[in-house]
Amino acid sequence: MIPHDILTLYGAKGLEYVIAIAFLVLFVPFWRYAMGTRPAPEPAIVRAAQAAPAHSDLVEWFRVARDVFYHPGHAWARAAEAAGAVLVGADDFAQKLVGPLRTIELPAPGTAVRQGEPAWRLHAGDKTLDMLSPVDGVVTAVNREVLDNPGLLRDDPYGAGWLLQVQSPRFAAQRKGLLSGRMAHRWIEDATNALRLRMSPDLGLAMQDGGVPVDGIAQALAPEDWDRVAREFLLS
Amino acid sequence: MSSRPATLTAPQPWFTEKVLMGQPWAEYRRGLFTPFNAVAAFVLAIGIPIIVYRFAAGLGATTNLSQTNPWGIWIGFDMLCGVALAAGGYTLATTVYIFGLDDYHPVVRPAVLTGFLGYVFAVLGLMCDLGRPWNLPIPMVYSFGTTSVMFEVGWCVMLYTIVLALEFSPALFQWLGWQTLRTYLLRATIGLTVAAVMLSTLHQSSLGALFLMAPTKLHPLWYSPFIPIFFFVSSIVAGLSMVIVESSLSHRAFQSRVDHHVDMDKLVLGLARAASVILFAYVFLRLQGLADSGRTDLLATPLGLWFIAEIVLFAAVPCLLFAHGARTRNATLVRWTAGWSVLGIVVYRLNVSVVAYNWEAAERYIPSWMEVWTSLTLVTTGILVFRWIVNRMPVLRDESGH
Repeated sequence: MIPHDILTLYGAKGLEYVIAIAFLVLFVPFWRYAMGTRPAPEPAIVRAAQAAPAHSDLVEWFRVARDVFYHPGHAWARAAEAAGAVLVGADDFAQKLVGPLRTIELPAPGTAVRQGEPAWRLHAGDKTLDMLSPVDGVVTAVNREVLDNPGLLRDDPYGAGWLLQVQSPRFAAQRKGLLSGRMAHRWIEDATNALRLRMSPDLGLAMQDGGVPVDGIAQALAPEDWDRVAREFLLS
Repeated sequence: MSSRPATLTAPQPWFTEKVLMGQPWAEYRRGLFTPFNAVAAFVLAIGIPIIVYRFAAGLGATTNLSQTNPWGIWIGFDMLCGVALAAGGYTLATTVYIFGLDDYHPVVRPAVLTGFLGYVFAVLGLMCDLGRPWNLPIPMVYSFGTTSVMFEVGWCVMLYTIVLALEFSPALFQWLGWQTLRTYLLRATIGLTVAAVMLSTLHQSSLGALFLMAPTKLHPLWYSPFIPIFFFVSSIVAGLSMVIVESSLSHRAFQSRVDHHVDMDKLVLGLARAASVILFAYVFLRLQGLADSGRTDLLATPLGLWFIAEIVLFAAVPCLLFAHGARTRNATLVRWTAGWSVLGIVVYRLNVSVVAYNWEAAERYIPSWMEVWTSLTLVTTGILVFRWIVNRMPVLRDESGH
């Protein structure tokens, strides 16, 4: 307890003011330090900073990224750094459904794309599949790395395997109609269940250990007209 | 995997399905023989007879408590630490239901369960400590003694334990299949959370206020008029740290029960940010208490050095480590820091109630081995009950979609 003499009291009060001011002065840098995050290292490929590998969950057999918005045709969209710019790609479900790609056909920069309308084409084996754009806008860039190496889409569909950059002024409004978070998880679960219903009991032999299907589920389901099956899921 | 053969099974008896988790008795019994259960059985085999002996022979026969030192570790550890570490319940419920940070929803239920069990076992520890525990209901229903801070603590703890039971009950009713009751209680979530915040604010601080009555018994470095604020603020840190520790251990121990869609690392880093900021304020509050005591000269004494060690090692260091861990996204560092921070809160509570209490008395209190074993028994029982509930009820994973 503070002795009841005036000088001691002033000394203690002075110290308290110093502590209070020190708190206020130090709190700002501390807050900035605690709330900030260390910047990520520079990416290796052009524009990969915007397409840095996203954190993703495994829902059933498929990776579902947490920071993208899904179109029901299994395309995704994520706001890029530049104002109004959106990165677009095909999700893990789509690439596992279609299987190893021969080539990817992307629209040239300057092409207008519309939400729900075909925007790019996948070539697998001797068949082709169109995929729908998740947003409206004008293509401003394409991922040349994925054109040279379609395997990027398989390895990292939400990161290095991005397909287009689209200038999409209406993305803020359009993304409300897209799926994310728990809704996206449910949607992928439903799509997986729909796949299961189509599987014959002995198809399990075609799967890898652990229950994850091999690439090209559609080909495993219907070897002759797998592109028709895939189109049903990709809505194209 | 779709190729897994789907087999139709006959409905199991209620007991087998709910209590034995669908296993035949022989299989369930075999599953009980684990190293952890062996240690727990050893603790309980000695602890339960000690508790029975304490009630049969009295406090004098089992404890080192005396008229000079009437409060021992059953108050200092079981009650003060138990209640502080159970603060995750109100902290997380407020975060999610009042502030709307829904990302933290997956950790609310385990936090509320930890809180509920923490309070129940704190009260059981109190029952052991009270000379005449059968008189405990008297201030609850008759002869309130409203001028006593004990009245406020007693009522708040009783009411909050009831609130925690109600907050957790939707999981119980979901397990029992009582959907109507569950729906009614879910509707009461906001009201219960508001009640929880009010009651916790009151009694977390008034546990500290108990020591305002003993300004001459408590060491001047620890005694402060702000001690209720210290207890309240440190309870938030204790709650957040405990949620980090508990969720990390649960996700290791109950792999089959957790929701793998939840990014626990992200939640843990968010909780660490909050804990670091609160610890930062707490350190400066403690320094204000030191300045206000006017006894900085005592810092050079052995207890003074212990005071400095407590503030630096158990408050400032975890504050900086939490901030650094969150900034560098190092969830492992954050988890270890949370364990350290929990220990820090225990150290602070024990310092106030045991180490710095009666510091000038000739007769120093050292707990008897039976007091220590009783506390160990209560903690072990708490863990066993937590495990029993988590293995059966929807705690770590919300199976209702709510």
